[in-house]
Amino acid sequence: MGEPRPTGSSPVSPAAGLDAPPALACEDLYVGYGAHLVLKGISVEFRLGSWTAVVGPNGCGKSTLLRALAGLEPARSGTICLQGRALSSWPRRERARRVAWLAQASSLTDLTAAEVVGLGRFAHSGWLAHRQVEDEAAMYRAMMATGSLAWAHRRLSTLSGGERQRVHLARALAVEASVMLLDEPTTHLDPPHQEDVVRLLREQARGCGVSVISAIHDLSLALAADRIIVLGYRGLVGHGTVAEALAGDWLSAAFETAVHVIEHRGVHLWRPWLETGPSPQHPRSSP
Amino acid sequence: MRSIARCSLGFTGAAILAWSLGASAQALASPPAAAPEDGKIVVRDDLHHPIELAHAARRIVSLCPPLTETVCALGECARLVATDRYSDWPASIRALPKAGGLDDPQIEQIVSLHPDLVLISSAQRITDRLHDFGIESFALDTQTYGNISHVVTVVGAILGVPERAAALNRRIEDEVRAIGAQAMARRHGRPGPSVYYEVDGGPYAAGPESFIGELLTRLGARNIVERDLGPFPKLNPEYVVRQNPDVIFTSPADVPRLAERPGWDRIRAVREKRICSFPMEIHETIVHAGPRIAEGMRAMADCLARVSP
Amino acid sequence: MLELGTPDQGMLGRHRLLVWVLCCLAITLLLAFGSLIVGTSSIETSLGWLVRPDAESSVVLWQIRLPRTLGAWLAGALLGLAGGIAQGVFRNPLAEPYLLGTASGAALGVTISLIAVNASVGSFAWAAGLGVTGAACIGAAGATLLTISLSRGVLQTGSLLLSGVVVAFLLGAITQLLVLSRFEVWRSLQSFLFGSTAFLSWSSVELLGAVLCVSLVPAVLLARGLDALTLGEDTAQSLGLSLPRLRLALLGLVSLATAATVGQVGVVGFVGLIAPHIVRQTLSVNHRQLLIGAPLCGGALLQSADLASRWILRPSELPVGAVTACVGGSYLILLLWRRSRHG
Repeated sequence: MGEPRPTGSSPVSPAAGLDAPPALACEDLYVGYGAHLVLKGISVEFRLGSWTAVVGPNGCGKSTLLRALAGLEPARSGTICLQGRALSSWPRRERARRVAWLAQASSLTDLTAAEVVGLGRFAHSGWLAHRQVEDEAAMYRAMMATGSLAWAHRRLSTLSGGERQRVHLARALAVEASVMLLDEPTTHLDPPHQEDVVRLLREQARGCGVSVISAIHDLSLALAADRIIVLGYRGLVGHGTVAEALAGDWLSAAFETAVHVIEHRGVHLWRPWLETGPSPQHPRSSP
Repeated sequence: MRSIARCSLGFTGAAILAWSLGASAQALASPPAAAPEDGKIVVRDDLHHPIELAHAARRIVSLCPPLTETVCALGECARLVATDRYSDWPASIRALPKAGGLDDPQIEQIVSLHPDLVLISSAQRITDRLHDFGIESFALDTQTYGNISHVVTVVGAILGVPERAAALNRRIEDEVRAIGAQAMARRHGRPGPSVYYEVDGGPYAAGPESFIGELLTRLGARNIVERDLGPFPKLNPEYVVRQNPDVIFTSPADVPRLAERPGWDRIRAVREKRICSFPMEIHETIVHAGPRIAEGMRAMADCLARVSP
Repeated sequence: MLELGTPDQGMLGRHRLLVWVLCCLAITLLLAFGSLIVGTSSIETSLGWLVRPDAESSVVLWQIRLPRTLGAWLAGALLGLAGGIAQGVFRNPLAEPYLLGTASGAALGVTISLIAVNASVGSFAWAAGLGVTGAACIGAAGATLLTISLSRGVLQTGSLLLSGVVVAFLLGAITQLLVLSRFEVWRSLQSFLFGSTAFLSWSSVELLGAVLCVSLVPAVLLARGLDALTLGEDTAQSLGLSLPRLRLALLGLVSLATAATVGQVGVVGFVGLIAPHIVRQTLSVNHRQLLIGAPLCGGALLQSADLASRWILRPSELPVGAVTACVGGSYLILLLWRRSRHG
């Protein structure tokens, strides 16, 4: 490993990283499929020790952004830098140790939960699957943190959707990367488990100094993040702290409809507006 | 692809052979041709379709090599207007139009030639298609020793030359008998050699029931394959090693490879190089089971006389 | 922490795998013994040979029956291995070793070599010199290369499968055309297409054994990549795998194993498809265990098919491919039937 990686036992203060290059950054990023450009000139930076939520309407490019940042989608133009060095110039395994990825749709597999989590250590242990003590320790921590240790030896195909999602999350955690990219990590989970996951992401960011970047559908959960990236159909609406996002009403701009956020004891919550008639804050011209 | 040629042994599956052997036994039982009255010819083919010809066929398409050979052996080569692409004897018919193969006859071409009759093997399924165009087809089995004389008789009737057919049949039978007698005489009462006749490297053998087996029997050779195994069984190679034949018949390509087969270098025929193989022209006279059968049998007899212990 | 200390399966699982492997080996040994005493001689004679060897028995037992059963086992093992890898690479339980066009390529190679031998055409003399085995190997390897280049590499499994089908049809058509013009090769080609274990010799055993060693070791080492692939291509890539290289290496192993097998025993169907299924049904496993289990299972399968092919019609034989097709087909039907009952 090139440089010491913040682990669970040695939290890094966010201030330490301020002079250093950002954990992950992209500049003027263009990504598209065929003739269709999904991301048009996106520039964002992610620091260690902060949790960034990516929100926006369906099809606005949240997944594409995350995939591009993970190096899974080639950029048409623009640069992506991991720790100040172009993402594509990193050796594959080195990069895989620094960037963990959790896909949106988890595929079915006959492996056991422990085997899946063990694959998270692939970039460390390699082909022989000969696990060192630190690999086992990382797997153990990841499974403890996600509460999936109980079914370590069960096959993934026998688990419920929520249990499976937690195993996949544990697999991403087990990489012990400095950047975690998670596409909808709370899908398939019931509300208490969604809470657990969000708490875990925050803990990873604040406690372990990881740069956590996650697309999240649930706006109330997204508003609990340190920073927020709001994507709309026309591109990046805003990138900053949650307070900035609320002040600028980025969410309404991104979703192109009024999004109501209320504050309750210092916590921002999305309030679904189900009443008919004009909403109090954002009067509409027609019902 | 499997049905590339069901017409004669050289290229047909043992199972199909076994089946057609049964079919032809039935066919032999029924009289092939009714007596012609006022020039009309009424015959029944091996698929039991009766056909009626107002006069002897004048324009004939043959889609099976043994049938082509039979027509020519009866001296009526000139009546052929087309053959299948595999017929290559006698040389005079090679210039004729080729109306496709055994499984892919060119119906269009056949129709455009306006034949009176199309001769086919009973395994070829084109009777109905030809019938749609008003063309009579006549199916014959061509795969056993017994078939040979039957085919000659029926084709002779169709061509209106029954006397020539009878003479040809007599000649074939006489020659076959003479070659057999000669082979026996040459042996001076000693028992014949044990023989393994390989029709393909599968290894498929010619059993006593097959026409090759019949020829071997007439030559006084002892077939290592027992009768109940059927005409062309696929043998366990170990069986050949244990039977330890005195003489092996096989294709020229397989001759050098026999000794490479596991355990086969121990077989007497291989050890002492008592192996018979024939070039393609001779091979065809045997496996086509047509009027040239005596020629093929003579080649077998000559080789046996040369290599037998 | 202790639970993770025993990787993957836990103590019970580990023992289960061991018991399973031992069972497979026991079955293999039984079948090998059966192969020694079953043949064209009566079983009493064969047993007598084992007790009191003579000249005939030493040839029949040690030059014919033993290499034949060992060769059948090795060929089946290679097919099982190739099937296990193919199903992992394509993430499709219906994938089989021949889907890259190997079988049709081998058939074309064999056809050309047979024509060359029969016709002794000067320009084809090299093909005749190769023999059936060499021609089948080269044909299979050529077909694989053609398939991979048609799909422009190994990035898209979908287009790989498609070009495999296209190549199979194309080469099949060329073979048909050749056979149409030279029908005398048809029968020999047919024996090849049905598969035949009849002429397996010690040299076949040596060759198949070497190929099994050469392909099994890297396959087991790469098995973790197949595990990662089950999580999805993106996830596998994010774990630090190079998918093109992994696929190329694994497909190389598939074609090596298939080409060697096809060269020795012809096209034996279903073993490569069924063996990994049997392993998964009896012992749900990760790919490393699958790639160890599938060869054991495939070996026993082809060994028993070989035994059946020479037992049923003694001293005649059934084509061994027909036996595997019967057994494999029935197994698939059973699998479907059971699935539909449970579902």
